Amino acid sequence: MNAADQQASLLAALGYAVFERLGESSFQLLGPSPDWLPAGSLTDALPFLEVFLPDAEEFWNSPGDRPALQSDFWTQTSAAGEELHFCANAVAQERKFLLVECVEQRFLQTQSFIQYAHEASLARDQIAKLSRELEHATQAKTEFLARMSHEIRTPMNALLGMADLLWESPLSDEQREYVRVCRKTGDNLLNIVNDILDFSKVEAGQIELEKVAFNLADVVAETLDIAGVRARAKGLALSSRIEPGVPAWLEGDPSRLRQILLNLLGNAAKFTDRGELFVLVEPDARQDPGALHFSVSDTGIGIPADRLSTIFDSFSQADASITRKFGGTGLGLSISKRLVELMGGKIWAESVPGSGATIHFTARFSVAEARSAAEADARKASPGPLALVRDRPLRILLADDAEENRFLIRGYLKGSACVIDEVENGALAVEKFKTQDYDVVLMDSEMPVLDGYSATRAMRAFEHERGSAPTPILALTAHALREARDRSLEAGCTDHLTKPIKRATLIDAIEKFVPAARTLDRIQVPVESWLKPIVGGYLENRRGDVAKLRAAVDSGDYATIRTLGHQMTGTGGAYGFEPITQIGSVLEESALAGDADRMRTSIEELEGYLSAVSVE
Amino acid sequence: MLKKKICMVGEFGVGKTSLVRRFVHSIFSERYLTTVGVKIDRKDVTIGSASVTLMLWDLAGEDELTQLNVSHLRGASGYILVVDGCRASSLKKAVELQQRIAERLGPLPFVLVLNKVDLRDKWEVQSAAVSEYGWPTFETSAKAGSGVEEMFLALAGSLLSANSAAEDPAE
Repeated sequence: MNAADQQASLLAALGYAVFERLGESSFQLLGPSPDWLPAGSLTDALPFLEVFLPDAEEFWNSPGDRPALQSDFWTQTSAAGEELHFCANAVAQERKFLLVECVEQRFLQTQSFIQYAHEASLARDQIAKLSRELEHATQAKTEFLARMSHEIRTPMNALLGMADLLWESPLSDEQREYVRVCRKTGDNLLNIVNDILDFSKVEAGQIELEKVAFNLADVVAETLDIAGVRARAKGLALSSRIEPGVPAWLEGDPSRLRQILLNLLGNAAKFTDRGELFVLVEPDARQDPGALHFSVSDTGIGIPADRLSTIFDSFSQADASITRKFGGTGLGLSISKRLVELMGGKIWAESVPGSGATIHFTARFSVAEARSAAEADARKASPGPLALVRDRPLRILLADDAEENRFLIRGYLKGSACVIDEVENGALAVEKFKTQDYDVVLMDSEMPVLDGYSATRAMRAFEHERGSAPTPILALTAHALREARDRSLEAGCTDHLTKPIKRATLIDAIEKFVPAARTLDRIQVPVESWLKPIVGGYLENRRGDVAKLRAAVDSGDYATIRTLGHQMTGTGGAYGFEPITQIGSVLEESALAGDADRMRTSIEELEGYLSAVSVE
Repeated sequence: MLKKKICMVGEFGVGKTSLVRRFVHSIFSERYLTTVGVKIDRKDVTIGSASVTLMLWDLAGEDELTQLNVSHLRGASGYILVVDGCRASSLKKAVELQQRIAERLGPLPFVLVLNKVDLRDKWEVQSAAVSEYGWPTFETSAKAGSGVEEMFLALAGSLLSANSAAEDPAE
């Protein structure tokens, strides 16, 4: 037996079917036939060889350095109905052999390896698909919430505005109480809508922080002023400390910082019946100078240990029954958490149940340069004049298709020296704009015929043609999302006011964008002729009130301030002195809230107005 | 008896093996088992007066690691492009495979199969998007059995008529 024969019989003993290639398509089985080998011609028995033999021929003709050529695995069913797995090898040495083997183990190993890869790949596809679906669903939810908030805000705009106007009209004590409740619950409802909207924006990653210079102590003081009303009403002490080493001027988003602090203080006040609330700001020692550590502590019911980490999750209050008892959407903390994260910090809670809780958060700001700080200071220092006091009446173009909204704006501007042209759609607005000079345009975004955006574009194009200076155009929309603002500004609006618009916001915006040519030292008020004989006496009495009011603030006699304020609220506008009504209303409110600083400011305002005003 | 080799090609996991099992053995299993290499089955069918043995070559589906070995289609009379209606990627793959096969083997009869019609509410593949290729298309469910036999017999029928057309001049 030569070497090749020995090799063939060895391979046959190992279980291979060994065929010797005698010529093209001519093979001879050497040794015994394995029991798995089907009967018949080679390619009838093993049909896969039809595709392997041409490759094997090529290999036998020029094997190069390769000792053998291996085929892919193949599977075929035996006569007994069993699936068998095979593999073939072409071997070229002295003689040319075709080896076929039945490869159960190797096949199964290879299969399990590939199967694993395929299953992982299918799972990955599935996850990607689910995540796309989730993204779509979240987007749809955000859009839904935005649309709902729009739908809710539009009528609320009218409702709250009407309540404001009603508040400023002469009312009996009983009626005043009804209106007070109406305004208060309206404000609460608006806060809830705002929370939900904020939350949806946070979820959609649509919140972007501002970067402006601000004074930290001012922000903390303002926050305490606002939160103080509620705290004082519950008899809680409220204080703050800013540690040395905290920069006075920072660059960041003061309104979002205020929102976080108000949220935390609001919660603290909600869950505390006795004791105090305390805000501490200190440098975050491990970080750069703009990194700060805030903490808000209370002496309230505290947070159970097992809820400390979940209170920042959406819709999670420490106890579901708390929602019923204390109210709220449970979104405040999760919004705060997200805002803190946007500020590069983190938020956490510590608590001893029964004796209070402390919410900590860190945030990173830039330290503001002296110049931008000074600018911000200057802006803040410029005193706000009384509502729209100017040397001539303002000409205002008001475009809004909703009669109640026009009525509201008209009401807001009543008593201010202005002439309002009202139109119901964008096309009429553009027509008016081309024939008349206006000091300011108030533009609703969604109107029939031509919407506010297109109308604004047309007005800007007209100005451009004529080379005239741009008229301030204030967009009024119920869309609170950032896109709405961007869209307004892109169209060429000067600024964007979100409904419901408060009277003060509207007046502030007009003040801001309509430059006062000359603020008069004297304020001339036209008074109807039949009133003239008594107006002098009316103003004289009010001047007398100033001293009374001062004395009352000093002695803490807020009841008197409330009464005098109430009288002014009811009478000022009726005589033609709208600012007296406004100041009276502020006095009355601040007396109710026990806000002495605000009372003093209002008294000064009243005094200033009374010394400037005269009758035409 | 006349023999016709038909190849099943497509992305992995689209149901090539299940279609053959349904057609040849009338069974279906939910369990996914990857085909390695080639799986060869045979089925005798009668079309009109002609009996023919279909040699069904079920070729391992393509993935990131394994490329279809086009030489396995040598001697095929036709092929079946299988698409999973739930996976848009599998249609893209089928289109790509058709091009590769046509480049290597010239024009061979084939049909396009949109499988898993029982899961139609999860389909990413739109029938309209498929029809723009103008290919003979079948919707099947290896699981429920719908459309499977019709699809195989339709392809076999067109192979036979191609066969007799080719033989006609010789007669």
